Amino acid sequence: MKAKKVVSMLCVGAMAATMLAGCGGGGSDKSSSSEAASSGPYDEQAIENAGDITITMMVSGVATENDFETEVLPELVKEKWPNVTLEVTKLPDDNYYTTLKSRLSSGECPDIILTQPMYAGANACYTLADAGYLAPLNDLKWAEKMSDLSAVTYDDNIVTCTAGVSILGVYYNKDMFAECGITEEPKTWDEFLDDCATLKDNGYQPIVMGDKDMYVMQFGLYQIACNEVYAENPDYDDQLRTGDTHFTDEGTWDKVLEMYDELYENGYIDASQSLGIGASQAIQSFIDGNAAMTIDGSFNAPALMAEGAAGAFERGYFPIPAESGDTYTATCLSAGYSIYSGSKYIDECKELLDYWFDGESDIWQAYLATGKIIATYGEGSDQTANYELFAPFVDLMNEGKAFHWCNQAWPSGTETTMEEKFGELIGGQGTTVQDITQEMQTRFEDLM
Amino acid sequence: MEKKRKKKKGNISLVFTNRMYVFLIPALLFFLILWIYPLLQLFYYSITDFNGINYDFDYVGFENFSRIFENGSMVNAIKNTLIYAVVVVVLSNLIGLGIAIALNTRIHFKGIFRTCAYFPALFSAIVVGFIWSYVYMPTNGMIAGLLDMFGMDGSKFNPLGSFTVALFAIAIVEVWKGFGTTMIIYLAGLQTVDESLLEAGRIDGCNEWQLTRFVKLPLISSTITINVILNVIAGLKAFDYSFIMTNGGPGSSTRTLMFQIYQMAFTDQQMGRASAFSVVSFFVIIVITVFMLFFMNKREVEL
Repeated sequence: MKAKKVVSMLCVGAMAATMLAGCGGGGSDKSSSSEAASSGPYDEQAIENAGDITITMMVSGVATENDFETEVLPELVKEKWPNVTLEVTKLPDDNYYTTLKSRLSSGECPDIILTQPMYAGANACYTLADAGYLAPLNDLKWAEKMSDLSAVTYDDNIVTCTAGVSILGVYYNKDMFAECGITEEPKTWDEFLDDCATLKDNGYQPIVMGDKDMYVMQFGLYQIACNEVYAENPDYDDQLRTGDTHFTDEGTWDKVLEMYDELYENGYIDASQSLGIGASQAIQSFIDGNAAMTIDGSFNAPALMAEGAAGAFERGYFPIPAESGDTYTATCLSAGYSIYSGSKYIDECKELLDYWFDGESDIWQAYLATGKIIATYGEGSDQTANYELFAPFVDLMNEGKAFHWCNQAWPSGTETTMEEKFGELIGGQGTTVQDITQEMQTRFEDLM
Repeated sequence: MEKKRKKKKGNISLVFTNRMYVFLIPALLFFLILWIYPLLQLFYYSITDFNGINYDFDYVGFENFSRIFENGSMVNAIKNTLIYAVVVVVLSNLIGLGIAIALNTRIHFKGIFRTCAYFPALFSAIVVGFIWSYVYMPTNGMIAGLLDMFGMDGSKFNPLGSFTVALFAIAIVEVWKGFGTTMIIYLAGLQTVDESLLEAGRIDGCNEWQLTRFVKLPLISSTITINVILNVIAGLKAFDYSFIMTNGGPGSSTRTLMFQIYQMAFTDQQMGRASAFSVVSFFVIIVITVFMLFFMNKREVEL
């Protein structure tokens, strides 16, 4: 009887110890992960010499049929290196963020993870790199192909491998424009307003937005900010952090907000409608021919190019023009892949990424074929789906007339305050432009 | 011998002997590790500037608490949550009780009607939220379409885009989804009412209203308590429809306590601030629950 008692107590004790060990794992793993983060040339034969290994990867998104990350990529990796098994987990965005946090804190993060440039989102590469979770990728050969990697470089270390760009612009219905006698894309802000007025006079809703999903407000505001704030002061965001500039500075964000509000005040975007419809409903409304334009990103091109009730009308894409006509574009590096600094297979992952992003491999070709990225180099980059829409933006970027999306440089949460307050402004709640800039500044300082 | 006897006297129950307490340890450990420990951590993180990722955080004292009151987010969230809870409690119970009384009478197709009333409760909140987003959609939505059909201007119907109406609009969705469950509990309560008491009432000359008010309602007072408490809980933890249908907007008009905590923790990455928010919410909810329990117990006695 006594022996049974002892055994049962031991079992209970062991269980408790196991659970407590599970809870307390974060601290020790974190220190080992930062030790593992080292730079220097990597072993380009790492995979060949590794024997049978399993590399894990976690990305965000929703898996589709013949999904690239979860199906195509593991198969192609297996073809190239039969000794490597790539296990990919794809989670919806919110799940991804929470899972990533818990896996990082428990020291069991997958070898390769999807990260965003700068400070954008919960998987921002700057935030993760600051915590020591990302391995430096300075020695990847891919880096030589990219012209500007500052958005994924933290403390002189490149931490995210990305080949694509994401663009913000205005999708428009060319047939509707032609019907109203508009033959050219607007080149200045005034021309843009004139075109809106012409469309409205002809009985068309000029622009549809899904402001119920408040993040869409960023699409227009960031483009205007590129033209009116960053073009004049490219270091504006850095100076926000040092306190040399403020959102409340006259002629900066107040101007941006006023210009965007002009579209609402004139009824070119109908706030009484837009605040009640979501982003996907706005896209549907555009392809159904209920509005002439919608402001959206390149990432939504497949949905915006689909046929709706209005059939297969011709579509165009232009950046919101600057007041002066010297237009810049809100085009930035898109999300990419980082290697967890605590991974056992850092060199193997680097070899894999270098092969993937070499601009010619099977994986590269399959990656481009997804149509989800707009590549700036390599074979077939001009074959990207809808590339003709995006080419002018890429040209502008190559001329150096592109800036990152503002939220990438701000601490996460600043943009939600901007959206919330701008929503109040267009919803007639008595909020002024000065209130918004003041709130943004307060929030920015609070989050820093 | 004496000692042994004394020991035996200590064992009050022959069925639940002292050694049985050992078997409580695993459950107790789970409870401590998965509930009490995280709860204590919540209090701990509430005085830090932890961002959820970087464990190299600082202690900021009560700054998190003062900030959530200074910027008005706490007051706004409490106000929205209370309005939401009141709408849900009142409408769910009135509709649930009304339909339960109607479906407790002798009518044809009673089973079908009961099934139909319970049907919305079977869908997940996400599905219901998406469907109702389209029902409320201006111009092309279901209600806007119906208004157009009756010659009214459906394009002006935009409840989710209105700062004053959006909160009520999402609360109605919660009521639509939940009244079936409330109704089922009321039905169960009503079926426990002894027929002989109703008979006696009728002999005394009571009409249907008097029977309901003075016989049925007092007899189902404990059912009313359960339903009100369940609806208060559903109202206080309101998150789903703010998240799915309005994303807290327009402005901050549909930000509830739970939504605000979620946004702070996972969007703004202010885990410390969100913990402070949770601690305050914890006490607010305790106060409301204790008040409700006292109030409802008193009402039960009065009825």
